[in-house]
Amino acid sequence: MKHSYLDSFSNLDSFIHHLDARAKIIMFFSLVILAVSTPAHDYYAFAVYFGILFFLLLMSRLPLGHVFKRSLVVVPFVLMVAVFIPFFKANTGTGGYNIGGINMSKSGLLVFWNVVVKSYIGVISMIILSSSTSFKDLMRGFERLKVPPIFTAIASFMYRYLFVVADEAMRMKIARDSRNFSGKWIWDTRVIAHMIGSLFMRSYERGERVYLAMVSRGYDGTMRGFDDTQLSRKDLLFASGIILAILLIRLSVLINLKLVN
Amino acid sequence: MAEESQSEGGLVPAFRRQKRETKMHHHKAIEIKNLYFSYPDGTRALNKINLSIENGESVALLGPNGAGKSTLLLHLNAILQGQGEIRIFNLPIVSENIREIRRRVGVVFQDPDDQLFCPTVFDDVAFGPINMGLSREEVNKRVKKALGEVGMKGFEEKAAYHLSFGQKKRVATATVLSMEPDILVLDEPSSNLDPKGRRELLSILVSIPVTKIVVTHDLLFAMELCDRAIIMDDGKIVADGSIDDILADEDVLDAHGLEAPAGIEEIKQRAKERSKVHRLRSTEA
Repeated sequence: MKHSYLDSFSNLDSFIHHLDARAKIIMFFSLVILAVSTPAHDYYAFAVYFGILFFLLLMSRLPLGHVFKRSLVVVPFVLMVAVFIPFFKANTGTGGYNIGGINMSKSGLLVFWNVVVKSYIGVISMIILSSSTSFKDLMRGFERLKVPPIFTAIASFMYRYLFVVADEAMRMKIARDSRNFSGKWIWDTRVIAHMIGSLFMRSYERGERVYLAMVSRGYDGTMRGFDDTQLSRKDLLFASGIILAILLIRLSVLINLKLVN
Repeated sequence: MAEESQSEGGLVPAFRRQKRETKMHHHKAIEIKNLYFSYPDGTRALNKINLSIENGESVALLGPNGAGKSTLLLHLNAILQGQGEIRIFNLPIVSENIREIRRRVGVVFQDPDDQLFCPTVFDDVAFGPINMGLSREEVNKRVKKALGEVGMKGFEEKAAYHLSFGQKKRVATATVLSMEPDILVLDEPSSNLDPKGRRELLSILVSIPVTKIVVTHDLLFAMELCDRAIIMDDGKIVADGSIDDILADEDVLDAHGLEAPAGIEEIKQRAKERSKVHRLRSTEA
């Protein structure tokens, strides 16, 4: 079964790809935090944020189609959370719109915009980060930024064995389909429950076997590795440049407010 | 470079009897005295095991499922600890020695996906040496050497999910070889391998001059790799002798749920003829 991997394009050759993982992590996370803290009505700020993101995207030479397809992952969440708000949020006096007999409040639309734009900025940032950094370097970057190793170890093992489990699930499905005569078994929740239980048991037992293999090769509790990348001046300058630019936009909003008031 | 070694009437495939340089050890490689082991739920897995294996031997561990073979393997590198005495190169299994024992006894498990848990092949093969505390240059050297020994040079940056099953098996073996063990323990090495993969793995294992213990159901594989065979059944050792003798003894095989592989007579005959031809050639030369 063909699997699509988190770091599919991490072996491309671009400026962003060659930046140290730590610099990229700090840069993109700062970008997201600053964007999220921006009030929703500062449309110009968001336009600049998107501009910067687009600049980073172009620099990373990632295929735009791939990035766009990946970004669609945010759609179900937006649908679940925000899409109904404009229709139900009580009119707080700022006016509203009436299209074809359906009422939409302005403040509701603003909330909707807030959710959509911030989640989209977050998703695009994370896609660029994860597609331009190999998973191994990304985890190492987090570790060197003092994230507790247990988190990165869990993430690494999950990434490694997720597709093993997916293949097992596929084989179970094929076995089930071979014994099924009446059509759509997918509606039989008992079957799905059994499959999930079985996959859990197999994963648990595999975990035991992996632990035995690790212990046989001298594992004593600490995951060791070599640190071969240094933070170069280029990494620091670029990352701080981007962060500074966004910080200025963010603060300019505050300054504008102060000037107005 | 193959030495000829004569055994009375038995087959002697020339390549199997090649004796290479092995480290000089004065002690037996493995010495087990009166080993008992029961699992936490009460099942008695090992029942008075007495065994000794010399350095350089190649031993096949045969027997029906549930005989306790895998349980015995896990005792060899101190993962399980039962009652009785086990000595690896005269080192008793106590906590001070466990680190050294795990370096000396390399266990290759049956499912390579259980042993390839790192992002890349390089990381997996380097895992053992790094845990041993070796320097970066030494780790790189060991990884290169181990991957070369299994014929997987150039695969350092690949991830495990990109490999075929046979390639995974070879890399899993390399992850253990990079620790330069003195004893190599293999649990069903040829299972699920296609004939080509099986042949490749066999030639790799034959060329590594360490003490070997191979748990297998593939009796032809055992015959080509090992000199000695031990049959276990129900937690006990029920037969111990040269592999030719054991595989020729149909009664003992039958009594413990084993069967001589079909065609074994023809294979023995062909091997006899091969070694005859070899002898003729070397007298002419």
